[in-house]
Amino acid sequence: MRIGDLLRVSIRQLVRHRRRYWGVILAIAIGTAGFITIITMGRDLKKNFNRDLELLGKATLVKVYFEKRPSFEHQWFHSSSLDALRHLPGVSEASLVAQHPWVPASWQGQDYHFAMLGVDESFWKVNGLPSQKGKKFTLQDMKDRKRVVILGTELARTIFGRVNVVGEQLAIQQELYTVTAVLNGAGLGDYAHFAFMPLTTAEDRIQGTSPANRIYLRCRTWEDVDKVAPLIPGTIQDVQPVQGLKVEVLWDQLQRVKAIAWWVELFIYSSIGATLILGGLGIWTVMMAAVRSRTREIGLKKAMGAEDRAIMAQFLAEAVCLSVAASLLGSALGFVSVEITSALIHSHPGQGLFLMCALLGLMVAVGLGVAAGIYPSLQASRMEVVTAIRYE
Amino acid sequence: MNNNFLTPQNDRPLIQVTRLSKHYSNGHGVIAVLRGVNLEVRPGEMLAVMGPSGSGKSTLLFILGLLLPASSGNYQFKGQDMLDLSRAAQAEFRRRQVGFVFQNCDLFENSTVYENLEFPLVYAQVERQDRPARIAAALDRVDLGHRIHHPANHLSGGERQRVAIARALVNQPLVILADEPTGHLDRAHGHMVMNHFEQIVAAGDTALIVVTHDPQVAARCSRVFSLEDGILNEN
Repeated sequence: MRIGDLLRVSIRQLVRHRRRYWGVILAIAIGTAGFITIITMGRDLKKNFNRDLELLGKATLVKVYFEKRPSFEHQWFHSSSLDALRHLPGVSEASLVAQHPWVPASWQGQDYHFAMLGVDESFWKVNGLPSQKGKKFTLQDMKDRKRVVILGTELARTIFGRVNVVGEQLAIQQELYTVTAVLNGAGLGDYAHFAFMPLTTAEDRIQGTSPANRIYLRCRTWEDVDKVAPLIPGTIQDVQPVQGLKVEVLWDQLQRVKAIAWWVELFIYSSIGATLILGGLGIWTVMMAAVRSRTREIGLKKAMGAEDRAIMAQFLAEAVCLSVAASLLGSALGFVSVEITSALIHSHPGQGLFLMCALLGLMVAVGLGVAAGIYPSLQASRMEVVTAIRYE
Repeated sequence: MNNNFLTPQNDRPLIQVTRLSKHYSNGHGVIAVLRGVNLEVRPGEMLAVMGPSGSGKSTLLFILGLLLPASSGNYQFKGQDMLDLSRAAQAEFRRRQVGFVFQNCDLFENSTVYENLEFPLVYAQVERQDRPARIAAALDRVDLGHRIHHPANHLSGGERQRVAIARALVNQPLVILADEPTGHLDRAHGHMVMNHFEQIVAAGDTALIVVTHDPQVAARCSRVFSLEDGILNEN
């Protein structure tokens, strides 16, 4: 039997008995669509999942600083080190920070002391810090060394007795600074008691400020942390000689996040696997039923000269056509699903990845069709002609 | 039974069966269905095999078509020994040399008349462009050329059996084996089917072996055999 005839007869058989096969096609299509969506959107979903998990902890945040020993205390990071770290694969953003542990300030004749950080424009994004009201520092603020300050909620409340203080003037080391924003949010932690000003301003105007001796790195996903952390010392050493460098990762939180993600992925892949296995069993069942209900047809075909392998090829081709049809439908559903998910999480996965997943889904479907169709096809091919012809 | 076409046209036997036996074991013993059957069939002959139900008529037909193996004996087709063929060679024999017509007008449902006749050509690997002409020619021989694209399950009983005959003819076999071909038809349609068989046999070297209960069908054949207790006798 020629391949063209085999495919034509198999497709015709499927189309004419489509009601019999519809349920199985749908099951495999849903499994394939899920597979395509998960794989295509996986990285973007993980990124969003990662971002949302930051509310619970700082699993993808890496802190780089110098050991607190007298001989290491007067080192600082060059901007070229920051740039080198920003270019590491898996790093989404990096920020350089200086600090003053106890800066004096006054408002309406009352003196206050608080911890202050000199930060660059990336600090907010790296730390995922929201502002309750007002605006954060920009690159221009950095360049202009502006006398602006952002306060944590608790610090604002301590000084002003309220949090709505944007535009107020605060005297820090005898100079007036304008409050441009007040930070708030679930992930603020100790920063609620801190003040923040542009790094350049802090270095130039605030006496007692340490050199820029901390770098905060934000990795794209928790899986990147393992890869990025070991690269940091070498990357910095390549740019500037340093001693006593420490890289701090919240490994416990990271492991917990990974464990959660592993269970979620296991659940999703198990669901897809179960759907595909059910689809395979469905193919097996409908093909067995087809062999039974078409027993006389098999006998007649053998009587007119069909060889065993032609009968086997026909039923196998029908099983494969069935799963391929399901896979194509699954790819279409997957495309729609990817588009909807992309719109929901504002991402743009590549078409290449989608096509690769669709192709993989097609290959899995062909494998599924062959695996599930082989036994019924063998049964059909081994049928004795006279028994088949006399089958009622 | 006086037509000239019933006269054998070739002295060399197409089918030569000697001492053919078939028996089954059913756990309680051996049941002999055919006992030392001898038969010669020449091209252009039209044979009827009669006998009571269960006498082994269909079994003989199935052995001649290599659908069933014989237990012992010899079976030669055009001088070639047929009982030792492989399964693939048996299928090849059925494709090229034999056409079957069964009692139940067995057509493939959900298929058109054309598609029903196309299957034997597909298995014989006839080129696709050659198929329409051969299908049309086979249908013309049973006067059903106008039904070529009709759904098979919309045909009457007589038409279905004529399509089955056309399907048996489409690969131009040397022998047609018909198992009660008029069994499910009324007298008029049965008569029409037999007319077609007569015309087919008359037109060429095709031989026809009909298994039947119907004396009127048997009366239209050149030779009539009866099979009783596994023994075949010519009347």
